[in-house]
Amino acid sequence: MEITKELTIPRLFLDQATKFGTDKVAMREKEYGVWRPITWRDYLDNVKHIALGLIRLGLQKGDKVSLIGDNRPEGLWAEMAAMCAGGIGVWLFQDSLMEEVRYIIDHSDTRFLFAEGQEEVDKGMSIFEDCPKLEKIIWDDPKGMRNYHEDYLISLEDLMNLGKQHEQENPGLFEELVKSGSGDEVALLFYTSGTTSAPKGVLLSHYNMLSMGRNLMAVDPCEPTDDYVSFLPFAWIGEQMMSVSCGIQIGYTINFPEEPDTAQENIREIGPHVMFAPPRMYEQMTRTVQVKYLDASWIKRKCFELASKIGYYVADLRFKKKLIPWYWKMLDWIAYAAVQMKLKDHLGLSKVRHAYTGGAAMGPDHFKFFHAMGVNLKQIYGQTEVSGISVVHRDGDIKFDTVGLPIPETEIKIKEDGEILAKSPSVFLGYYKNDKATEETLIDGWLASGDKGFIDDDGHLVVFDRSKDVMTLNNGKPFSPQYLETRLKFSPYIKDSWVIGHEREYVTAVLCIDYSVVGKWADENKLTYTSYTELSQKPEIYELVEKQIRQANKDLPDAAKIRKFVNLYKEFDPDDDELTRTRKLRRAFVENRYKDILDALYLDKSTVHIDTTINYEDGRKSHIKTDIKITDLGE
Amino acid sequence: MAYLPCGVYHEKYSQDQAFWQTNFIRGKMVLLAVFSLLVIPIFLTDYLSEFILLIYWAMGALGVQLLIGFCGQLTLGHAAFLAVGAYSSFLLMTLPWPMFMHQIGAVYPLVLIISAIIAGLWCVLFGLPSARVKGFYLILTTMAAQFITVDFFIAKYVSQIGGRQQDLTLSSDLVKIGPWTIDSKVDIYLFGVILLVISMAVVANLVRSKTGRAWIAIRDNDIAGEAMGINIIGYKLYAFFVSGFIGGLTGAFWGASRNIISVEDFLFGKSLWLVGIILIGGVGSLHGVVFGSLFMVFLIWALQEIVGMIGGTGNIIYFKEIAFGLAICGFLLFEPNGLAYRWWQSKNYFNLWPFSY
Repeated sequence: MEITKELTIPRLFLDQATKFGTDKVAMREKEYGVWRPITWRDYLDNVKHIALGLIRLGLQKGDKVSLIGDNRPEGLWAEMAAMCAGGIGVWLFQDSLMEEVRYIIDHSDTRFLFAEGQEEVDKGMSIFEDCPKLEKIIWDDPKGMRNYHEDYLISLEDLMNLGKQHEQENPGLFEELVKSGSGDEVALLFYTSGTTSAPKGVLLSHYNMLSMGRNLMAVDPCEPTDDYVSFLPFAWIGEQMMSVSCGIQIGYTINFPEEPDTAQENIREIGPHVMFAPPRMYEQMTRTVQVKYLDASWIKRKCFELASKIGYYVADLRFKKKLIPWYWKMLDWIAYAAVQMKLKDHLGLSKVRHAYTGGAAMGPDHFKFFHAMGVNLKQIYGQTEVSGISVVHRDGDIKFDTVGLPIPETEIKIKEDGEILAKSPSVFLGYYKNDKATEETLIDGWLASGDKGFIDDDGHLVVFDRSKDVMTLNNGKPFSPQYLETRLKFSPYIKDSWVIGHEREYVTAVLCIDYSVVGKWADENKLTYTSYTELSQKPEIYELVEKQIRQANKDLPDAAKIRKFVNLYKEFDPDDDELTRTRKLRRAFVENRYKDILDALYLDKSTVHIDTTINYEDGRKSHIKTDIKITDLGE
Repeated sequence: MAYLPCGVYHEKYSQDQAFWQTNFIRGKMVLLAVFSLLVIPIFLTDYLSEFILLIYWAMGALGVQLLIGFCGQLTLGHAAFLAVGAYSSFLLMTLPWPMFMHQIGAVYPLVLIISAIIAGLWCVLFGLPSARVKGFYLILTTMAAQFITVDFFIAKYVSQIGGRQQDLTLSSDLVKIGPWTIDSKVDIYLFGVILLVISMAVVANLVRSKTGRAWIAIRDNDIAGEAMGINIIGYKLYAFFVSGFIGGLTGAFWGASRNIISVEDFLFGKSLWLVGIILIGGVGSLHGVVFGSLFMVFLIWALQEIVGMIGGTGNIIYFKEIAFGLAICGFLLFEPNGLAYRWWQSKNYFNLWPFSY
């Protein structure tokens, strides 16, 4: 079906579901140990009944339907049903704090909230009083719901029964609903996490979403027989792009993991053909490999090292677009057959044709690591405001310091001050209830991204860090904190890093150790510890981390070398607002929060006293009092 | 749990429980079938006796494995049930069966099944004490089965039938299944392969079913098992029956392969031998049964070669016992989980390559 301005997501969905029918599996969910298949026919029936149930409850065209919960088929059905019934879907991050939930539900004028189970229902109930526009909360996981009898609660099953009843009374209503509506109407509303301010509601039309999918698939086509694993929050545009924009158009099978914790394992079982994840997941994979490598026997380690060397060399030639001599090709083939094939198998990347990373900066070390393994990893660049992405690498034309070329129908230009502007059919309609921000962002149809960058000789877009994050030392030398941060994160022991140095004498870093990896190291070295805080402050751990930093410092210019560092007593956490929900560091916030540490790093001090509270998702708080050490590398 | 490569997933439990889930494994199985059904009977005819011995031991040890390895019922008298099977089949063959049944080759299969059932029931009889006793005491009762059955009952009475004071014999042209007369070594070998594969499949399926889970529960903790509502006595006797049934088949196969049976074939030493095989192969593993038998067959063959080389004569029998004892000691010391565990380990070495976990 051709994507036109008239076409809506529901219409395309109905068309595809009728076409595939019972012959093809639309989605699978791992439950009780097996991948329970759901055919397109079941998908359609469920969506139909939910949609009609919503209509029965009084949903009007343009009403907002919020959704919160882990990735599961019911979530996607509800989203699709909301759109079919003429509503607008609003996804919330499943680990949102009460305050964020309240803000979004209230700001979006939500009337119906789909909450997965008891935990989400509790969140909904506690804000119910504050959001007068909210009418019903619909839940689907009965676990723990036995004693919930509030009138405004309704189970998904009951809702679907209402829908069935409504269908009998009004046959053909669903098809009518789907046929009404046009492509330039609002389909979905996303709240951008924003590294700086309160979330803004991004209005995306059906046409925005569908043209996004069409243009991405024009670059890297997928097949209906492909598998895709949906495990990242639906509230993230990247996941929506893959599951809805592309998923509905191509009709590939979407697989849902058993639990969020088992995602990595479940990815391996499925072996997806296409993958889109923020750098964090690839960093995690790298760390897994590095840790396992350290624990492997001597022979295995040597084989791995040799194969990696060959892989890196060949990948480098490819990056430089040089001809690969036949003997290197042969060596590469041997290395692949002997080690890298198995490595990909362990990571669940055996079948991956295209792997994308986006949403945050990814370090060249990680990037090369995957290419050395033979994984076709590509950078993409985009934002919620363009319904996903605008720039992507092309096969065989990959440069690890760029984000690639614009996708079809997309134009990119650079403003005089270096800001990246984008224009495409996928550019959003505007911010919800925020005309001022819309005016600032949408200028003559061009989207001002707020990122700085330039276009290099090959036409590739190079994105600097967020404008305000480009930093200069006091002596005028510039450095890129994100580059240093990703470099540090290449060490398996370091999970998060925060590099400081703007308008200061030298560069310093605040590091969060990886609790499991460092904990394991501590066990092996007979160090005793009881908590993250204690472990992070052990002198042996400081030594370990220092070694990692010296390694990272090795081939950096003197100015950019990290001079001092501290191990933070806790991990950065979105619940404390230190990271966004997509796990980007909120620099301004942490600078404020850890002012003591920051100041101490630039004084002649060797310890900082900390007295602070930590927030948990469920509202608990804990108090921390500790001294943390500052280590001077003397470089 | 078997290690599966990336991209193998199941939509149904039937797929999840399948024995052969990847093409790699299916390929291996095809190779195994080609090797055992074509390569051995055609090219390795010199070693057919060894392979027949392998099948005999593997089948015998399978019953022991079921009792000890899966149900936790220690037995030192399994040779008795082999004997019951062998003697029953020989005696039943001498019954005046109608001629047409001989012609269509229905007698031997019928006899085979009846004698296996007799052996199974005989095994249940001696399994009855397991309702009350376990461990060492059960070993004693199973030893009683050995001595009562073979040394007393068969030696003193059954083998006297026919009044020849001698071994029983069976004419090989009577061993006939349908049109297939099992009289050459190749036939016996193929007959053995079929029996072994069927018994293995039966036990493997039992072990992964509700029955098998009950057996394993009894092995691991019978009191907890009973508390979970498992009919312990029933399942124990079931295990004894299946074990005896397979023992009976084994005995009958042994008789058919030699056309002559004697009490000496089923003495206490044979019972020990079968337990030794599962100790070496790996307790609680079906692979272990074959690995253990393979090891023993190889050991005996190698001993014969060596003794032959250094010019020893009839003393092989003593070397055999010594080697057997040493092998068991060695395994208990250095590889207490048996060859099956080593096999699993070496597979894992490559499955987890280039890591260790």
